[in-house]
Amino acid sequence: MHASFPSQDNPLIQKVESVFTFTGDERQALKALPMQLAVIKENEDLMREGDRPSRCCLLLSGFTGTYKVSGGGKRQIVNFGIAGDIPDLHSLHLGVLDNSVRTLTTCQIGFITHEDLRDLCERYPRITAAFWRETLIEGAIFREWMLNIGRREAYSRIAHFFCEMLVRLGAVGLAEDHACDLPITQAELGEALGLTTVHVNRVLQQMRADGLIETKGARLIVPDWDRLKEVGEFKPLYLQLEQEDFAV
Amino acid sequence: MSFTLQPVQVATGFDKAGMMVFDEEQRLLAVLVHLSDKNEVAPGQWYLEAGFGRLDGINRPTFADLDAAQEWISQRLAHRS
Repeated sequence: MHASFPSQDNPLIQKVESVFTFTGDERQALKALPMQLAVIKENEDLMREGDRPSRCCLLLSGFTGTYKVSGGGKRQIVNFGIAGDIPDLHSLHLGVLDNSVRTLTTCQIGFITHEDLRDLCERYPRITAAFWRETLIEGAIFREWMLNIGRREAYSRIAHFFCEMLVRLGAVGLAEDHACDLPITQAELGEALGLTTVHVNRVLQQMRADGLIETKGARLIVPDWDRLKEVGEFKPLYLQLEQEDFAV
Repeated sequence: MSFTLQPVQVATGFDKAGMMVFDEEQRLLAVLVHLSDKNEVAPGQWYLEAGFGRLDGINRPTFADLDAAQEWISQRLAHRS
């Protein structure tokens, strides 16, 4: 089915507009971008390393994990995709994918052909600039993750991760009052942060006991945002948001 | 390979009851910790809290019991030698 996603709900525009200001024409062109809509259940690969896709996946709802696998079969999640993200935007210019992307929850996906995206970018150079800015910020997030995984202790590392997710989700309207749905398992958290599941569990228990976080199922509640930021050494500068603190 | 086990209290802040694992030359190979029932991911299992030498690394599995842990340690030492 080819269709335009209800434009007022299109998280792509909300996402990009958190780091870029569009004109009315540009916003309209993005809204009119043809998409093939699909609902994909959890734990399905949307793409695999080595694929040569001819379309991009816009995540309309749900969570994805971008990952790579070591020779011994161990998975490293390198990024979490949320609504508004195009986790394979780089496939537009890189012929072959060097990573895989898997759904972590049921996801609503809008498939956009490379042809339509190229056409849009040729007609609207500022949209090209916006996507470039998006890609550069993604690079900044990777750099921050390297610092986080390589140099922060587990307690601070997980706190930083929660801060980042809360702000990113806030930017697309999926977090408010320092609370959000974060349906990521402790095993996935371990795969993303380079920790064993046992260690993740101990740290989460400690964070709950310290009053740093509350969890109810997949719901994450942060009772003291300033303290969590302090513990996680979280400075949102690298996210380059036009409105700096979306979670407040 | 046979191992000697020696109980130890470990200051993990969570699970205290542990076991030191020595090789035939009484060299410390690993510290296993018995996870409490409060652990939400592997209650009651044994966790490789620390491994030395060939057991050092990012792979820190959990085991159903001490026999399974010793089996894994044996395989790991044999595999790498």
